[in-house]
Amino acid sequence: MPAQGFEATVLSHLDAAFNFARWLTRNDEEAEDVVQDACVRALRYFSSLRDDDARAWFFTIVRNTWYTRVSRRPVVAGTGSPDGPHGEPFDEAPDPEAQLLQQDTVARVREAIGRLPVEFREVIVLREMEGLSYKEIATVVRVPIGTVMSRLSRARERLLAELKAAADLEALP
Amino acid sequence: MSCKTIDRDLDAYVDRELDVDATRAVREHLVRCEACRGRVAERHALRRLVQSAPYYAAPDRLRARVSALTSRAAMTRRLLTWAAAAALIVTVGGTITLVRSATARPDAIVEAVVDGHVRSLMADHLFDVHSTDQHTVKPWFLGRLDFSPPVADLATIGYPLVGGRLDYLGGRPAAALIYERRQHMINVFVCPAGNELGGAIGVRTVRGFHVHHWTRDGMSFWAVSDLNDRELTEFVRALNAS
Repeated sequence: MPAQGFEATVLSHLDAAFNFARWLTRNDEEAEDVVQDACVRALRYFSSLRDDDARAWFFTIVRNTWYTRVSRRPVVAGTGSPDGPHGEPFDEAPDPEAQLLQQDTVARVREAIGRLPVEFREVIVLREMEGLSYKEIATVVRVPIGTVMSRLSRARERLLAELKAAADLEALP
Repeated sequence: MSCKTIDRDLDAYVDRELDVDATRAVREHLVRCEACRGRVAERHALRRLVQSAPYYAAPDRLRARVSALTSRAAMTRRLLTWAAAAALIVTVGGTITLVRSATARPDAIVEAVVDGHVRSLMADHLFDVHSTDQHTVKPWFLGRLDFSPPVADLATIGYPLVGGRLDYLGGRPAAALIYERRQHMINVFVCPAGNELGGAIGVRTVRGFHVHHWTRDGMSFWAVSDLNDRELTEFVRALNAS
C-alpha cells in the first residue's frame, strides 16, 4: 500500500485517469461517472496495492470499470464492429460544425484518434499521452507485450494513413 | 537486415523498447535505408501530433466528489478505530463509567453533536437510508444498532422525515434521523440514555447551531439545526409528543 494514502494517491493521478476515461468514452459526463466509479472500486482494493506503480493500477481499474459498463449496455442491432466486441458502439455522425473544425490539424488528429477502435485507441493514449512502457500497458490492458507492440504499430499505421489522406503530413518537420 | 525485419521492430525502436543489440541493428539499417528513415520520422511526427490532441484534465467537480468520497471513507475508518479503542478500554478497565466520564462532559457532548451535524452536511453523507417513510427508516437500524430508535414522521406539521444514518456520539453508536424544514436540515441523534448524559443541558447554542437535548423512555435525544430556535423548539415539542 503506497505510503501517501489513498486520497493523495488517487488525486495525484486523477487528471490522467480522467483523460484516459475521456478518450475511452469520448464523452465528458460518462468519463466522470467512470472515474468516480473507479475511485469507489479503487478504495475497496487499495489495501491490496503492493507495488508503487499506483498509476498503472489506477488505469487498470478505470479501464475495467468502463468495460464493465459497456458490456452491460444493451446491444443495438447493426452497431457491431469487425474489430471485436468492444468496437464502435456510438460513432457520431459528422455535423457541419465538426466538418469546419476538421480544417484545423488538432481537431483532425483528435477525430482520427477518436475513430480508432478502442483497443487501438487505448494503447495510443497510454503510450503517447501518458508515456507508459510496453510492460505497463500490457498490465493495464491485460495482453502480452507482443500484442501491445502490434496494436501500437497498427494503430499508428491507421492514424498515419488517415491523416495523410486528409492532409499534408509531409509538411511537418 | 531487411526492411521487412525492421518493420517488426520499428515501433519498439521509436518507443525505445528494444534492447541494445536490436537497437544497434535498426540503426545500422536506417543509415542505409532512406525509406525506413522516413517511416521513423513519420512516427515521431505522429507522436507530436497525438500530443497536440486535447489532454482532458479532471473537472473540479469530479475532484471534489472524489475528495468527499475518500474523506468519508477515512472518517469511517477513524470512527471504527475509535470504536475499537473504546471497546478495548471497556474490556480492559472493566468499567464503562471510565470511558463515559472522559467523553460525556456536557460541553464535549454538545460540541460532538454540532460536529456530527456539520460533518453530515459537509461530507455529502447525510443519509445511509434515504426515505421519507418511518416504516423504512426504523427497520433499517435493526441489526446495525443494539437499540431501536423511535422514528416519527412530522410531515403533517411541516417537518418531513427525509432519512436516517448511522453515526457516533460520545464514543458510542447513535442513530441519526434527518428531518427537513425549508432547506434547513435537522439532525436528531438518538442513543440509550445513561445517567451521566447531560441531563441538565436542555437548550444550547453553539457556533450558530441550536441544540436541544432531552431524555424519554430510556433514550437520549439530541436535535441540532441552524433552523431558528422557535421552530426548532416547536419541532422538538412535536417529536416529544409523537
